[in-house]
Amino acid sequence: MSWNLVLYGFINTALALLVSPLFISLIKKVKAYAQGRVGPPILQTYYQLYKLFKKERVYSYQTSFIIRLTPYLSLAFMMVASLSVPLVFIPAADPGLGNIILFLYLMVMSRFFMALSGLDAGSSFGGMGSSREMTLSAIIEPVIIIVFGALAYVLQTTSLFDMFGQVRENSFLSNPSLILTGISLFIILIVETSRIPVDNPETHLELTMIHEAMTLEYSGPDLALIELSHALKQTLLMGVLLNIVAPWGLASEPAAGGIAVAFLAFVIKGSLLAVGVGIFESLMAKFRLFRVPGLFMLAFFFSFITVIFKFLA
Amino acid sequence: MIAGLLLGGGFLLLAAALTGIVFNHGSKKVWQGVLWLVIAAALCLLIGSLQIFFGNPLDISLWNIASGLDIAFHLDRLASFFVIIISLISLCVAVYSLGYNNHISSNERANLLSAFMAVFILSMIGVVASANTFSLIFFWEIMALSSFFLMMNDYQESFTQRAGIYYFVLTQLSTVFLMLMAVVMYIQNGSFALSLSGASSVIQSLVFVLAFLAFGIKAGIIPLHKWLPYAHSASPSNVSALMSGVMLKVAIYGLVRFLMDVLSPEMWWGVGILLFGAISALLGVIYALKEHDLKTLLAFHSIENIGIILMGIGLYVIFGLYGLDTLAMLALGSALFHSLNHAIFKSLLFMTAGSVVIAVGDRNIEKMGGLIKLMPYTSVIFLVGAVSISALPPFNGFMSELMLFESFFQSFSLAESSIKILLFSVLAILALTSALAAACFVKAFGTVFLAMPRSQEAASAKEVSKSMIIGPAILAVACLVLGLFAVQIFSVAGYSFDLPDMSLVGLVLVIFGVLVFGMVRLFSPRKSRRSETWACGYVRPTPRFEYTASGFAEPLFQIFRLIYRTRHYNERSYEDNQQAIFKQGKSAIHTIKFFDEYIYLPVAGLFGRISRFISRLQDVDLGSHILYSFITVLLVILAARWLW
Repeated sequence: MSWNLVLYGFINTALALLVSPLFISLIKKVKAYAQGRVGPPILQTYYQLYKLFKKERVYSYQTSFIIRLTPYLSLAFMMVASLSVPLVFIPAADPGLGNIILFLYLMVMSRFFMALSGLDAGSSFGGMGSSREMTLSAIIEPVIIIVFGALAYVLQTTSLFDMFGQVRENSFLSNPSLILTGISLFIILIVETSRIPVDNPETHLELTMIHEAMTLEYSGPDLALIELSHALKQTLLMGVLLNIVAPWGLASEPAAGGIAVAFLAFVIKGSLLAVGVGIFESLMAKFRLFRVPGLFMLAFFFSFITVIFKFLA
Repeated sequence: MIAGLLLGGGFLLLAAALTGIVFNHGSKKVWQGVLWLVIAAALCLLIGSLQIFFGNPLDISLWNIASGLDIAFHLDRLASFFVIIISLISLCVAVYSLGYNNHISSNERANLLSAFMAVFILSMIGVVASANTFSLIFFWEIMALSSFFLMMNDYQESFTQRAGIYYFVLTQLSTVFLMLMAVVMYIQNGSFALSLSGASSVIQSLVFVLAFLAFGIKAGIIPLHKWLPYAHSASPSNVSALMSGVMLKVAIYGLVRFLMDVLSPEMWWGVGILLFGAISALLGVIYALKEHDLKTLLAFHSIENIGIILMGIGLYVIFGLYGLDTLAMLALGSALFHSLNHAIFKSLLFMTAGSVVIAVGDRNIEKMGGLIKLMPYTSVIFLVGAVSISALPPFNGFMSELMLFESFFQSFSLAESSIKILLFSVLAILALTSALAAACFVKAFGTVFLAMPRSQEAASAKEVSKSMIIGPAILAVACLVLGLFAVQIFSVAGYSFDLPDMSLVGLVLVIFGVLVFGMVRLFSPRKSRRSETWACGYVRPTPRFEYTASGFAEPLFQIFRLIYRTRHYNERSYEDNQQAIFKQGKSAIHTIKFFDEYIYLPVAGLFGRISRFISRLQDVDLGSHILYSFITVLLVILAARWLW
């Protein structure tokens, strides 16, 4: 293992953690504008995380070590997953960290413990959240695998590092089907980050609660960790989408200047995408829970047909 | 030396079995002695088979009964790999049984249980090591019978009786197919040799179909699976652990052995195996989701995992025929590694489930809850098993499924587009299966161990004895080690697959975990207090507030209602003729057991009718019987005349 890789690990994870709350705030700001409000300041999510870090924890009498352990596990697994998605430069050697399946299943591991912690306190809200989260994540899984399978097929590799590297060399124009997978990746981003029309991150209402219901029993620094890991997940999925569809600015080697430019480019691209997500959320209405599988089926057939066209071509 | 170790292990098992059966009296000492013998035997076999796995093949000829008819063993790398599985799991199950057998209704039964367990283990090793079809069938049948006896430990229970009938009929059917296969091979070869060189394509396919049916029934492939959920939940938990963890793998061994060494595969076999695997995997996990009997739930997950293993085998056949040898090795590697992994985490889960069932006195998970505080060790071990079976990193289940995913993803080098479309469809099914498995284990772990106890019995549950913790704990460690060091283990064995190094991922995980924990420790106040669970201001939550297992699975139940078809039953009666005043009514919703109602019972009914017809012929006076004999003798003489 080279120092290059260690450097990559720390820079990538630190930068991802640093920008994640910004994107969350941006989406909130855009939605507020769409609703005719001023909205919170752009740095609000950072203030909020800081505030939560300084507060006390409240645990239910019924809970076990699961709910205490989950925030750390959730964030740690998400941080490991962040190594799979190069945001500023792609390291030369890949010891398998860029593997797509590893990336996806690290995120599933984080969700698995989130869902368990939802059941830990014995409230029906938590149970409802866990149940819905696991249900929706189960039926979106075939879509995700088919989309990444399509990427693996088009780019002839299963490593995200190689994929990004190839797309950066010759842009997606040489591979128009990448645009189609880009649309599927956007749907995956919406679903995985619990946004409208699948879930509503704004409310704590039983009818819409999925992700938020699982986090109800969290407080103080634990809640901050959970929110940070959720924000990080969003950044990573955005990173995948951006690096496939808009790979401009990604540095080729770990030089300070290149990293700074690449980071700036990523923040700008990410901000634009976040604004897009905000507009998308404002335009959509929440689906009824049992209408959501229909949306997934649509995304599934869409990505599947992309693959089939590619096969027959 | 190695042969001595292995034969010594075998004879120790034989001695254990005889001890248990001959000295069967009501003392604990007997079954404890038997189990210690089994532990010693398993250790010998484990060391011996490990040496063969990393060394050279070994041939042992045990007993030449008549010329051409001998019990002989051939242990190569494949066979020794499965001996490793059998002996490792047997070792842990035997340790677990040292505690578990205390809960068997009487010491006599515990003696017989331990003795037959030794026979069962011996017969499975015999099957795997067999060098010819004769000894294969010999040990296969002993395996079937000994597992049947083990399963019938609680023979007075009507549930066990029903499970026993299903198991007995199907397992004998499996032996029949195996014998037919051996007959076909004997006609072809003129010997009981395990080879089929020079046979025509038709004979090859015939042998394959017979072998697939024989091994498929034992492995529990849907639709031949019906015995499995019944048998696994009716058996004592240590037996379920052995049956599910090991016996299913013996069937997988048979299939792999025939495909690798005996037959020359054809494309439709590979596609068939792949499709049966996909169906078994998906339906297995979907049936598991609606299950509330903890052990039946685990049994359905066995079907799911057998399906995943079969997918790997199917891919191996397909890639092999296209000449993609590296990819074929990856697929086969995933199937075999998953066999080992499934053996480990499934026996672990069955053993801990057995502990839970003993502590609560019920197999229904809706009666459990809150056990994580009462049974901390058992719950952590179960959690490791649940995470492994859900294929989550960095545990072993993830590595084998990763290999399978990789072999699917890398199929882009295939030329034929119809096969590629098929592979992509199966890939989607695999993804769905593995995500549903995670959902199912969140349900299982959450309902059994988290929140508040849902019954008096669960509230007064106690942690089980030490040996019942140590047995599965060894396997829990194995789950983590095999997950973290898979790449290293493969390279020691001489395989280099292009896989992520999980030990690095584990290291990074620890670094990040410590970093996050340290930051929180340093920069946030350590104040915490306890309060009631928030329930919209209600201050005295009860278990009735909790999400039930049925509630948890309900959304998935809704989405897959095509598969969970239900039958609604309504009955109303009224006080008056106009049906205006309601008197009483009864309503029920049953889930239709598709395979029972549409396949098994009609077939059973048909055989019932045929046997009733035959019994009418039989139920006559002496004169008619003499007439039957006369006609038979006449026919035999005529037939003999005609033949010679």
